[in-house]
Amino acid sequence: MAAPQRSIEQLAWRALGAADAACNRLYGWRGNPLYQSGTIAVALLIVLLVTGLWLLLFYRIGSPYASVANITASPFTGNWVRGVHRYASDAALVATVVHLFRMFAQGRSWGPRTLAWVSGVVLLALIFVCGWTGYVMVWDVFGQALALEGARMLDTLPVLSEPVSRAFTGERPVANAFFFVNLFAHVALPLGLAVGLWLHVSRLARTALLPPRPLMWTVIGVLVAASLVRPIAMDLPASAFSLAATIQGDVFYAFWLPISQQLNGGLALGLGFLAFVLLALVPLAMRRGPERPPPSQVDQEICVGCEQCAADCPYEAITMVPRTDPLLLVRSETVAEVDPAKCVSCGICAGSCAPMGVGPPGRSGRNQVAEVREFLRAPARHAGELVVICCDRAAPGLASDVAAAGGVLRKVDCVGSLHTSVIELHVRAGSGGVLVLGCPPRDCWNREGPKWLSERVYHDREAELQARVDRRRVRIAYADVHDGPATRATIRAFAKELDLLDHPAADATLDIDAVCDPVPAEPAR
Amino acid sequence: MSALARGTGVAVALLVTTAIVWGSHVSFGGAGEIAVLRVAWSARPERIERCRRLSEAEIAALPVHMRREMECEGAAARYRLEVMRNDVLVDSATVLGGGLRNDRELYVSREIVVAPGEQAIRVRFARLDSSSVPPGDEQSPGETDSMAAQTREFGDRAGREADERRRRRAEAIPAVLTVDTTLALNSRQVILVTYDPLSRRLVFKGAP
Repeated sequence: MAAPQRSIEQLAWRALGAADAACNRLYGWRGNPLYQSGTIAVALLIVLLVTGLWLLLFYRIGSPYASVANITASPFTGNWVRGVHRYASDAALVATVVHLFRMFAQGRSWGPRTLAWVSGVVLLALIFVCGWTGYVMVWDVFGQALALEGARMLDTLPVLSEPVSRAFTGERPVANAFFFVNLFAHVALPLGLAVGLWLHVSRLARTALLPPRPLMWTVIGVLVAASLVRPIAMDLPASAFSLAATIQGDVFYAFWLPISQQLNGGLALGLGFLAFVLLALVPLAMRRGPERPPPSQVDQEICVGCEQCAADCPYEAITMVPRTDPLLLVRSETVAEVDPAKCVSCGICAGSCAPMGVGPPGRSGRNQVAEVREFLRAPARHAGELVVICCDRAAPGLASDVAAAGGVLRKVDCVGSLHTSVIELHVRAGSGGVLVLGCPPRDCWNREGPKWLSERVYHDREAELQARVDRRRVRIAYADVHDGPATRATIRAFAKELDLLDHPAADATLDIDAVCDPVPAEPAR
Repeated sequence: MSALARGTGVAVALLVTTAIVWGSHVSFGGAGEIAVLRVAWSARPERIERCRRLSEAEIAALPVHMRREMECEGAAARYRLEVMRNDVLVDSATVLGGGLRNDRELYVSREIVVAPGEQAIRVRFARLDSSSVPPGDEQSPGETDSMAAQTREFGDRAGREADERRRRRAEAIPAVLTVDTTLALNSRQVILVTYDPLSRRLVFKGAP
């Protein structure tokens, strides 16, 4: 990646980190709406669908303004529903943009994630056009301004035999056919959104489409309250024979309107199209092939066909396939296979494989154990030290905090890729304790890293932390890299707990090699 | 989480909600103290044709089913639009028929911003290309029938073709259209000048 792009990405990450830290302080990581921007957008789309279907019952193509005015005049069944519909559409757009920014800042826009990025940009465009058609449906002066601008743009395309703008000159009333087409687009586009959303998450396992219920109902409740506090009012009806003195519009969907009105229709259309194309091309601009981390590999001689890596992979990049080597059939009938096109090289499979037979090159469980052995053999090590393990993205921000708390920092690609044998080795080698600082679950760049590690350490998920390890010396905590004070407090609290324990002793029977030796294939070849 | 953080969180949520609600009702401004003269219509342009009677030899050279008495070639006429306000030309354009070959309906769509108040408006739409009526087309349909009856070889066909050319001319926009009047325009009023195909003249719409 070229330096300027990298610096833009890092700048965005710093800004996002500051916002995340602020939200974590205010709402905690469970309620941080920035972590849930994508799922909030989906929840709001569902709100839009429900309220939209209700409003559709009362909308009349033959008298659009009058029917919307009737809806608006009804305080209980109309106005607040329309208010929720409108505010939810704004909030959905905001949430989508925040989600887009988040993915960009976290570098999750390229490689195997390109499909998700591009489909996300298409979804954003669809939401945008959907909102546009929605405002035209009202057929007030704002809707008319949007329709005229859209017509002006469309008229520059050499595909329509008759200029669309002619529909609005006042020669004759605007045809019902126009409102029908507009309504059709407004109803059909959400179907496109559903298809786009399916594509957007098609490479994810265990897709979380909705935010946690407390957060979801809070967001919806706030929008309902807003619609009651600030009810929707009707603007003047559209008229071909008068100009509005003021137009009350929606800045989220029409921020471009004052600019566009000053430009040639074709230029305005071209600039809008270009903006979305450039957004869609971000994956090309941000990363290039050679820099892409290598996908995971499977050692067929070690794989026992347990399917745990396939189950844990957050991107459905691993499938179980029949073995092709007859000599290994005694080991298992199936073997894990990694789809390089889907693998983001997160390494979570390395942490999920008890016999350490899968993982990105150089980052498998066996590699991790080898690194620990090197680490433990270093002369600077001393018994009873606190080992803090975090992902390499968080490490730079945590280094000073860990040092200040008297710990020693070790980093892995993602805590989800951390093999529990690494924790065991540290504890049994005499470390005072092992603190694994993972990203808050919804902030994990690899989606499910902290979740699986927690399951392996505390709930005996396959590749679990062995029972012989003193659990009091192991702690998994979530840390926001941008929230230094909270991180320091976490480290100190754990260090204080460790002080209450007996001085650790290295396990004399510790046989590091025995822990990580692969199960031999049978029969011996 | 402290009460302060909780309170701040609620305040920030309210602030964001307020921003969304505010953003949903932003004033985009509007038209100032102006009026608009909109000149807009669509109509079929006249087809300017050059017709000549084929010689006996030329007719004989054609396949039987393609033989015709008159051969016409041409294109849709071009028109000149001029809009004058208080005897000052404020807009002008050459208008062609629509479509790639300019043989479809022509569309006029211009908007001229004018100051409110009394304005002398004159709109003129005149054909640029000259037209010539093919020989035999001057008569009324009944006369054509009698003339065509005299043509042994082509029978009714010549008459039908002449009728078709006459019908197309009748549907086309007149060669010259003019409207000239004085209007009292209110602020933010839009006056439309359009072509009425029934009366075949330019008319005002939206006038007070």
